[in-house]
Amino acid sequence: MANELRFLVVDDFSTMRRIVRSLLKESGYADVEEAEDGVIALKKLRSSTFDFVVCDINMPNMNGFELLNEVKKDEKLKHIPILMVTAEARKEDILLAAKSGAAGYIVKPFTKVTLDEKISLILTKLGLK
Amino acid sequence: MSMNHDNATAQNQLISSDIHQSIGLLTRQLHNALNGLGLIEKVQDLAGEIPDAQSRLSYIARLTGEAAEKVLNRVDQAKAQNEYIAEEANRLGVLIVQDPVAAVAKGQVMNFLLEVKKSNQIIDGHLIEIMMAQDFHDLTGQVIAKVVDLAATIEEQLIQLLIQTAPMESNQKETTAHQVQVPYKPHLSGPVIIHEGNADVVSGQSEVDDLLASMGF
Repeated sequence: MANELRFLVVDDFSTMRRIVRSLLKESGYADVEEAEDGVIALKKLRSSTFDFVVCDINMPNMNGFELLNEVKKDEKLKHIPILMVTAEARKEDILLAAKSGAAGYIVKPFTKVTLDEKISLILTKLGLK
Repeated sequence: MSMNHDNATAQNQLISSDIHQSIGLLTRQLHNALNGLGLIEKVQDLAGEIPDAQSRLSYIARLTGEAAEKVLNRVDQAKAQNEYIAEEANRLGVLIVQDPVAAVAKGQVMNFLLEVKKSNQIIDGHLIEIMMAQDFHDLTGQVIAKVVDLAATIEEQLIQLLIQTAPMESNQKETTAHQVQVPYKPHLSGPVIIHEGNADVVSGQSEVDDLLASMGF
């Protein structure tokens, strides 16, 4: 079941989107869409169905915190887990993300093991694995 | 000849003294102008940011260097693994030509297949690490954006200083030309360049996990 999940990877750097997409594929998640900022991500989330979002914070137009808030106040979207993957390492940002409803927080640079662990933990909590 | 030389030396000293006095005067005028315009603090702030820009540029150099080294090391290891499998394939080929039945019966073919599978996993691990090493593009990109932002801010402040200290007529023209320039100011801090002595930031994933756990998340 977990391998059929649909992921949305949101990051303004194409290299990072490609890395996360490849890591997800490596872990058996082949259905992955990409968005380069929060605005595009929100459009995609509202026009299609996704099970999981992997999201950067520092992005133009709409950053990760703004996207997180938009998703969490949207009745149709708020159930989607959002895993923040970001270079923002300030404690107040980490706590803000958690209080705003992020399902997890990974600081860049990260490893494949960390990404796998966090996704697995979130999916287990949600009963999707 | 000697008199000419003495004259030239005296003249050079006079010019040096004039230049020195002019620089002194300009410095004083600039100081007074900055003071009068209330720009001293802004200039001090900008000067304070320059060491930060230096740290950021050093961070970029370090990260790109580490990524290049990581990639080259992993390529070396993957190539060595590849060569090992090629040698094993050649060795098995000779054994099969000599006695195909014995090669199978003694488990040499099966052993080779297991070695290929193992090597495949090892090489795949190296390829993933090579891919992960490319994350420097994201991190350095964010840092470069901040340095560019600092340069733009310094330029903006210098232009502002130029406008405000220019004669009245050109001042008006320049003000109109530069009024619309608003430097991009990101609100987020981006990658942490120096972790030591900074209690407000985490230095790795384990600290993120500990922090969230301590807060009940």
